[in-house]
Amino acid sequence: MDGSGQFAKRAGVAAIRLAAAIAATAAITFFCFRLIAVNATTAGFCYLVEVLIVATVWGLMEAVVTSIAAMLCFNFFFFPPVGTLTVADSRNWVALFAFLATSLIAGQLSAYAKRRTREAVDRQEEMERLYALSRAILQTDPREVPARQIASQIVETFKLPGVALDDHAHGEIHCAGSEHLADLERVLRKGPDSFIPPGPATPIVVSPVRLGGEEIGALAMWDSNLSETALQSVSNLAAIGLDRARAQQVTAQAEAARQSQELKSTLMDALAHEFKTPLTSIKAAATALLSQAVPKLPEHQELLAIIDEDADRLSRLVTEAIQMARIEGGTLQLNRGLYAPAVLISAALRDMRHRTEGRRVEVQIPENLPLVFVDAGLVQLALRQVIDNSLKFSSPDGSLTIAARPEEGSVLITVADEGPGIPERELERIFEKFYRSPGHHRVAGTGMGLTVAREILRAHGGNIVVKNLPGAGSEFCLVLGAAPPENL
Amino acid sequence: MSAGRILIVDDDPHIRRVMRTTLVAQGYEVSDARTAEEAIDKIRGENYDLVLLDVNLPGMGGLEACRMIRGMRASMEPAIIMLTVRDSEKDKVEALDAGADDYVTKPFGTPELLARIRAAIRRMPMASEEALQSIRLGDGVTVDFQSHQVRVRDREIRLTPKECQLLRYFAAHPNRTIPHRELLQAVWGADYGDELEYLRVFVNQLRKKIEANPARPKYLLTDPWVGYRFRPPE
Repeated sequence: MDGSGQFAKRAGVAAIRLAAAIAATAAITFFCFRLIAVNATTAGFCYLVEVLIVATVWGLMEAVVTSIAAMLCFNFFFFPPVGTLTVADSRNWVALFAFLATSLIAGQLSAYAKRRTREAVDRQEEMERLYALSRAILQTDPREVPARQIASQIVETFKLPGVALDDHAHGEIHCAGSEHLADLERVLRKGPDSFIPPGPATPIVVSPVRLGGEEIGALAMWDSNLSETALQSVSNLAAIGLDRARAQQVTAQAEAARQSQELKSTLMDALAHEFKTPLTSIKAAATALLSQAVPKLPEHQELLAIIDEDADRLSRLVTEAIQMARIEGGTLQLNRGLYAPAVLISAALRDMRHRTEGRRVEVQIPENLPLVFVDAGLVQLALRQVIDNSLKFSSPDGSLTIAARPEEGSVLITVADEGPGIPERELERIFEKFYRSPGHHRVAGTGMGLTVAREILRAHGGNIVVKNLPGAGSEFCLVLGAAPPENL
Repeated sequence: MSAGRILIVDDDPHIRRVMRTTLVAQGYEVSDARTAEEAIDKIRGENYDLVLLDVNLPGMGGLEACRMIRGMRASMEPAIIMLTVRDSEKDKVEALDAGADDYVTKPFGTPELLARIRAAIRRMPMASEEALQSIRLGDGVTVDFQSHQVRVRDREIRLTPKECQLLRYFAAHPNRTIPHRELLQAVWGADYGDELEYLRVFVNQLRKKIEANPARPKYLLTDPWVGYRFRPPE
């Protein structure tokens, strides 16, 4: 419909131009023959100029018609015998040849120049559109689906009926525009053979969307009359847009995670202070009463001891919760130094004097153990958690053996108890956060101790493993990397 | 006669109450302050043997207050024990670097705090050290143990009480490697022995005050893993 309308319009324009060209020829003839009565040569030049102008301004077809009309008029009015058409005259052929040659050469040149101009204008328009598209893509709204936005921006910028963009990362195809969307989507999903074009040439153009050689998507456009370069640029822009959206998303997620961790960490510090301040007065008061030399009733002594112990326990819980939050948030900073494993073990045991009281604890540490390069405070915390765990889950009259030995660039610290051992299915689970063994709900604890211990060891590049001993009991093994020689 | 004058600086009224009650019962003379600014005003007006200073104070904070107290020209320099809920090595070193003599983590038991207070205000030098009034080092450096001062040519630098005690112990036992534990017990008290970071901080501070080049000490030498050694000038 559109095509035939345009054709009629073009034919109309051509007819008007032809009529105008013939009229101009007639006007020159009238002017030269009647008004000023010039000689044949002058008239010939006038016709030549006319042909040249027509060829330059309108085109080849109009120029050829004008050439023939001019040749006929020239012959009839200016060649003697005037008033007749003497085709046989050789001058006639020269004139016709001159007119035709002029019209051909000038027409070609003008058509070429026009084509170049139109191309330049088109290219400039394409450039402007590409620029507009690149701006639009850089301004995509991070809250909306990037591929859909890019597709609709291409539709808008290039006034296309339909565009589909396949985002490989999400495996989704997003369409924009109003027509042929189902066809476009099918082509992207099933390949170009799935679409049978109505005419000899397919109106669908498919272009891969590549980023640094990797295909991250595909673009299908209906009826695009874009140049190859422009098409390449559009798909490059789509690639940049998709990649940028992805990078933005990753950054936003990381930022959100970091903020939440920071908040958690700040909150934990504030919480620690808030909890420990009242605990300080409780513990100071209870221990002051306990240490008074005044004789006390045994039950008073016992009640004060309970207050004191539970103040300690609450304080420990707060400390562990904070350590856990730090370890989880990755904000744990290792303050490493060189330490002898024996020093770490004895410091941990000294902090636990009240817990190990009345228990048999054997320490077997050989001479000449390599030093370890660790955060002493954290490793002692891990050791205390493991020792505390072993004390809790073994019988009060069983003994605890803490040993250390070197092994292939590592130092192994083992804590073995004579308890009932750990059921096979629980061996891994005991390190999970808040895991409490089903059979031991009456044992006091938070279920975080071993998790904290494992995370601490892992932060050092080491680990904790547990196994049941052949006879009875279980053994925890803390693996710490021995200090590399350059640290000594 | 009181066992000593103590200034408690903590923003929590309950902690002030508990400590006041306990310390008064032990025979100390006690006053308290809620903020660092208030504490500094009090120290300007009166002499204290000891300041119990919370790290987490509103306003300028405990560490800054500690530095200010150490910078004051009081006729009698008080011992300072810092109290805090944080117990990482970094926090301890920070407190000692600011000029504290000791560091106690909250929550603490009263007997432990009392022991630390006794250790901090113990100023009686042992017999062998008593005779030592001053020493003369090279490079124009003189240490006067009576006035707690180091004179470097015409410049005067003050020593904190613990720095002074530590240096005096070194000077009384020249040319001998003194184990960490011995130093800690001699200067801080019998309950100490594992606080290696205390020695690290204090020896570093002493080196800054008496050595020409603290990074390559001439007088206060480290014997790795064992202790420190004082080498007097020839």
